[in-house]
Amino acid sequence: MSHDHDHDDELALRAAALEAVLVEKGLLSTDQIDAIVERYEQDLGPRNGARVVARAWVDADYRARLRADGAAAIRELGYGGFEGDTMVVVENTPGVHNVVVCTLCSCYPWPVLGLPPSWYKSPAYRARVVAEPRAVLREFGLELPAETEIRVWDSTSEVRYLVVPERPERTENLTEDELAALVTRDSMIGTGLAARPDA
Amino acid sequence: MGGMHGFGAVVTAGSDRVAGDPWELRVFALSTRVGIEGLGEGSGRAIREKMQPAAYLGAGYYERWLWSTERRLLRRGTVTADEIDAWVERLRAGEQAPRRDDPDAARAAVAATGRAKPLAPAETPRFAPGDHVRVRRMRPPGHTRCPRYVRGAAGVVQAVRGLDAFPDIGPYEGPDEAVYSVAFDSGDLFGPSGEGPWTVSLDLFESYLEPA
Repeated sequence: MSHDHDHDDELALRAAALEAVLVEKGLLSTDQIDAIVERYEQDLGPRNGARVVARAWVDADYRARLRADGAAAIRELGYGGFEGDTMVVVENTPGVHNVVVCTLCSCYPWPVLGLPPSWYKSPAYRARVVAEPRAVLREFGLELPAETEIRVWDSTSEVRYLVVPERPERTENLTEDELAALVTRDSMIGTGLAARPDA
Repeated sequence: MGGMHGFGAVVTAGSDRVAGDPWELRVFALSTRVGIEGLGEGSGRAIREKMQPAAYLGAGYYERWLWSTERRLLRRGTVTADEIDAWVERLRAGEQAPRRDDPDAARAAVAATGRAKPLAPAETPRFAPGDHVRVRRMRPPGHTRCPRYVRGAAGVVQAVRGLDAFPDIGPYEGPDEAVYSVAFDSGDLFGPSGEGPWTVSLDLFESYLEPA
């Protein structure tokens, strides 16, 4: 949503005032807010999810654990918490492509992907990807074969979803870290594919 | 809003940004503190849906969070509207916001965001994978996790996700109940499409479902 500057200024003032009242009352310390912001800006992000995907690509046992209990397997790599309490991991295969949305609000697996990009929260994405997924994926530059089965997951409960994209071809010799570098955020939402090593 | 028309393109200039202005992430962080410390009353998610619909659609994402966080605090009586308004004017006049640091509390606040509470297993679910179900026709008066676009549609249970507190209010209010992953054919939700068929899966509470 676009706003004029005056409106944005008013929101910023109101947000600061709310914080000021709570700090003044001794109910909140400023560094609690600083620390949470830093955590979500710097520590939580799609690099976490990429490590999960890369591990799943190289380790069949891990992949099986991920399938059985997503949150527990993700916790093995040190990630978990709010909006990742119960995780379902869905896997793309040559014939199946998964894509995730939350039509009701904007539920998103924070521990593995961080906070969502603007488009994920937009009315356009929330309204359209359940009703015309191929048209939406095309906007992201993703044209899937006509025979590919598309599965859309609407996160309507406390369950959060992570897509394991297909492992790109000609990556047999890459290390796990090199593989993780190919895993884009959008490929774990389903609006993209993992990058090719030569790309 | 699943299935609605008229919102335009998904991918637009700036649509890839995660957070814009610094206040947006501070409101996000504040909201988590309000929840954990019990400073507010009610669910932020449910309160946001009480926004007047035109205002809801016109508001930015973190603007809605600001709105709901303020209302949670007011409902609990933690703050008053006069106190907030007064600080808005003091800040507008150039006064510095008060600052207080408490490193132990800051560490604890971050640690709290790492806590997880997985859904408990459902011991006696009414439906099993493979069951054909239909979503009840309903018009809940407040918050619900049953989108309009699936009401009345038939689908197939794929999995039992676990037990969770029923989130609806009014006549649909209830205790813990089973949540199911239910798959729907696109044609049963939206009719024929030039895109060919796809499936849409939702996690639905037992009360939303009846045998089909």
